[in-house]
Amino acid sequence: MSRPIEAGLVNWVTLVWDDPVNLMSYVTHVFSTYFGYPVEKATELMLQVHNQGKAVVSSGTREQMEIDVDAMHSYGLWATMEPG
Amino acid sequence: MRGFKRAGSMITVRMSDYETALLESLVDQLLGLLEAEGEVDPGSSDPFERWQAEMSSDDPLDRSDPVITRLFPDAYPDNPVASMEFRRLTQAKQRTDRQRQAEVVLSALADSEAGKHRVQIRLIDLDDWLKTLTAIRLSLAVRLGINTVDDLEDLDVLPDDDPRAYVYRVYEWIAYLSESLLSLD
Repeated sequence: MSRPIEAGLVNWVTLVWDDPVNLMSYVTHVFSTYFGYPVEKATELMLQVHNQGKAVVSSGTREQMEIDVDAMHSYGLWATMEPG
Repeated sequence: MRGFKRAGSMITVRMSDYETALLESLVDQLLGLLEAEGEVDPGSSDPFERWQAEMSSDDPLDRSDPVITRLFPDAYPDNPVASMEFRRLTQAKQRTDRQRQAEVVLSALADSEAGKHRVQIRLIDLDDWLKTLTAIRLSLAVRLGINTVDDLEDLDVLPDDDPRAYVYRVYEWIAYLSESLLSLD
C-alpha cells in the first residue's frame, strides 16, 4: 500500500462524536485508559464531546490516527479522522 | 443482581440464573452478528489464510445492517474509498478481538453455574467486559431506534405492553451493569 511521501508530515486529528448511548463514565474511562490522560483531562474531553457534539482527542500522523480511531471503535465510540 | 464487590484484582457480582441466561443470550447474539458465512476465517492460525482474509475485497459483514455500521463506523466520513481501505486493514482483527472479549464474558458466566456462584470478573478483563457490554447496548440502541436523547425520553414513557418496553429495560440493565463495574474501577 503506497501513500504520498509527505503523508507523515501532515497533521491529522482523531475526533470522537457524541452519541446518546455511551455512558459519560465509560467515555471518561476510555480516554484515561487508552490515551493515558489524567482523569481531569479525560473528563474535560468527555464533556466537550457531550456538550459540543465532538472533540479532538488526539493528533499526529495519519498512521497514528488510524491506530487511535481503530482503538476508539474497539471501545464502541464513534470516531473519525481528518487532516488537522 | 446485586452486590458488586471488589477484592484485590477480582470483581464479583451475584447474578440470578435468569440474569445469567439473559446476558449469555445477548452475548451469543453479538457473536452471531460478528460471524459471516462463507469466508476465510480471519482468526485463522494459518498466516496465508489470514492474509487471504485481509486481502479479500468483499466485506464479509453485512453493511446494510445499521448495527454493523455502528460497530464498524467509517473512519473517513467523506471518503468511502479510504474508509473501505481502513476496514480492510482493521476489521478482521477488530472482529476476532470482539469475539475473544465476548468469550471472556461467556466463560465467566458459565463458571457461575447459572447463578449458583458469584460471577467473577478479573480486573484485567474489565475492558473486555465493558467493550462487550457496550457493543450489546449499541446493538440494542439501533434496534430501539435510539438516535438522539429525545428518543430516550420517548422510550422512558412506553406502556408496558409495547414490545420495545422489554428491550429498553434490558438496555437499561446493561447500562447499570457497566456503570456498576466502572464505579469499582
